[in-house]
Parts: sequence; structure tokens; C-alpha cells
Amino acid sequence: MGGFFTWLAHSGVVQGVIIGATLAFLTAIFIMNSVAKRLTTTVNGWKAIPLCGRPGNGVLVRAACAKALPAVNVFEEAAYWTTTVDGSGQTLTGRNAYLMRVPPGQFPPNDAFWSLTVTDPVGYMVPNPIGRSSFDDRSDLVKNADGSVDIHLQTSAPIGREQNWLPIPAGKFKLMLRAYLPSEEILEGRYRVPEVTRLQ
Amino acid sequence: MNRLILKYAYPLTAVILVVFAWVVYQRIAQGWGQVVVLGVAALVVWLLVTPAFIYFWPRITVNGYKRAILKRGFGDGPIPVNTLYAAPTTSSPSVGTGSLLATGTNDVLYIGGWLDLREGPQVLHVPDTAGRYYSLQFTSPSDSANFAYVGKRTTGTGAGEFLLIGPRWKGQVPNGMRLISSPSNSALVIGRVFVESEADLPAAYALARRIQLSPLNRQ
Repeated sequence: MGGFFTWLAHSGVVQGVIIGATLAFLTAIFIMNSVAKRLTTTVNGWKAIPLCGRPGNGVLVRAACAKALPAVNVFEEAAYWTTTVDGSGQTLTGRNAYLMRVPPGQFPPNDAFWSLTVTDPVGYMVPNPIGRSSFDDRSDLVKNADGSVDIHLQTSAPIGREQNWLPIPAGKFKLMLRAYLPSEEILEGRYRVPEVTRLQ
Repeated sequence: MNRLILKYAYPLTAVILVVFAWVVYQRIAQGWGQVVVLGVAALVVWLLVTPAFIYFWPRITVNGYKRAILKRGFGDGPIPVNTLYAAPTTSSPSVGTGSLLATGTNDVLYIGGWLDLREGPQVLHVPDTAGRYYSLQFTSPSDSANFAYVGKRTTGTGAGEFLLIGPRWKGQVPNGMRLISSPSNSALVIGRVFVESEADLPAAYALARRIQLSPLNRQ
């Protein structure tokens, strides 16, 4: 018995098991992330995985969903889009100012509500001087002459446009758009989330 | 802690891989024969454990919520099994980073609970929300799928009672109750009740608190 433990300690089996298990964990994460990526639909940089949360998904799909969007609603209950990049694919950061111009009637159509939230890259809201982390369908947003709405995403207040200012943190950040009880237009994939444009 | 792991996932992974490379290098330095057993063990474990991780990942995730609910709750202490707890406030930047609410939205009040049907069915009571959006999502721990919904989209906003049963229960569904069969004896319950504005919070909270569970045999 003592000989066995000595062999176990010196043969490299224990080290092999530790290395194998850790690599298995990393491989599993890699596979789940890749599958999640394949299931993701991207429009103007906004990502969504409409398949998640449903019964009947295969092993890989449900693992990928549990990894990407744990315990998420089914898409017909709530549609979620997230983005960490602007419309041209550049990472969103507080060093820039951004504009999200929503054409008339192009907030996500729904039978409950929509909301747009700013968080850090992990998903936590970040404190800011005016205590505003989101806009929603009850927000008093100023419309342009053509009926479109400009949402200003920047660290400091846009002069004269404070009402449409959604403060962002100094570093990298993430945007999350939700539509509860999304309409057919969203469920059928016809709705396009407006792009976030970097201001020069 | 989770936050730190998420934030530094890549450097942490790099450090771990460098340590492994060093261990393997040390063995090779003693002669190539020293690395064979290690390599075989690593390969076997890698091939067996990778699919296991993927298969069990949904369960691991849902059990994470279970632990969070039963051990920590939403900041107000642990939530016992078969109890629906309504958070009195919405998500905000001031919510603790460890909280389940931390990555939520400020448009809804969250409700959380862990269902255990081993001792028999539970009855879910929902009030009339008069058209107000709400939903209760029932998530199975085995595959992390939402096997049932109660709320505006699926059952309407009227008052009602639902009988929640596990896979092995046999019996008569009481009059006036709608049946929800859970594929296993446990389930994660996440509820969301719409909050119009700050002023609407008390009304939303009062409704959220009236969404409750009780055991069938104590009806």
C-alpha cells in the first residue's frame, strides 16, 4: 500500500489528473463559448441568442446557453440584446462619446416594456452623478424634428441634450436592450436594433 | 470573487497554463520517461471530463442559483425552500455585487424561490394584477430549460391557483386549479413584476408579495 502511494506521488499521475481536469474545464468553456457564438445573431453589433431557455434543446445548445445567458427567459417572454461594440465593431469605452439614433417608431416593439441599460462589461450598473443607468418606454426623451430619438452615450453631459443623456463609465462598458413580450416583428427577426455610432 | 474571476479570466488562465508547462518541463528535464504517465493520465482525464463538464454545465448553473437562494437570498437572508421571496427594490448601482439582483433591470421587481416537490405538490397563488406585466419562470435544474411560465403572456393577469407537481405524483387536481408538471422534483422559480415608476413601487411590491406558494396537503 505504501509503495502504491509512493508511486502515485512520484509517477506524475496526480499531476496528470490535475492538468487533465483543468484542461478539460478550459476546453469545455471554449466549446460552450464557440457554440454560443454560433447560435448568436448579430445585428449592428447587437447580439442575441433567441434559442435559449426552451425545452428540447440539445446538450451542446443548453450548455452554451447556460454559459452565455444563465437562467434566461425564453425569447418570446423577453428579448435581450447586448453589445460591447459600436456599429463599426470597435469596443465601447467611456473615452469616446456615442450616439444611438433611433428612427421613428424603431424602439423595440412589444406588449410590455423596453429598456436600455448601461453596465460595466460584466453586467453591473455603475454609479454616475445623475443616478441614471437606463432609459425605458416611460422615459421623457426629446424627439428630433423627424420623430427620431437621439440617445447620447457619454461620460459628461451633452449641453442642451441632458434629457437624452445616458451616462457611461470611464472605461469599457456594455449596453443591454430588453423588450418584454416582444412583438412578432422581433420574434420573426425583422426588427433591427439601431446601431450605436461613435462621435468624432 | 466571481467578479474578479470574470474580470481576470484570461491572465488567470495564462498563469495556470504557465505553471503546467513548468511542471511538464521539470519532468522532461529528468528524462522523457518521466512524462509518459503524466501525459497518459492527463489525456484520459481530459477526454472523460470535458464532455462531463458540458453535460453537467446547465445543472451546475441552476444549482448555483439554488445555493444563492437557499444560503444568501436577495440580501434579506436565506429564502427557505418552497417560499417565494419578493425583493422590495429593483436593481440599481448600489446593489451589492454578490447579489442575484446585481445584473438585473430596474423595470421589474424580482421574485426568487426554490421548489422542492419531494414532500408533495405545492399550490401557487397569483393575484389579479389588473393587466400589469408579470411572469414566473420555472427552470428545470437538469437541462436549465424553462418548462413552464405563469403570467401575462401565458396565463393572463387574473387571479388564479396552479398545482405544481413532481414527476411521480398521482392524484386529483382540485377544482379550479391549473396543473403544472415539473420534470423533476425541484425547480428554480424566477418572477418579475413590472414597476412603472418610483411612485408605482409600493403597488408593484404589494402584488409581488401576494404571489405565494403553499403545500397542497394544508389547503
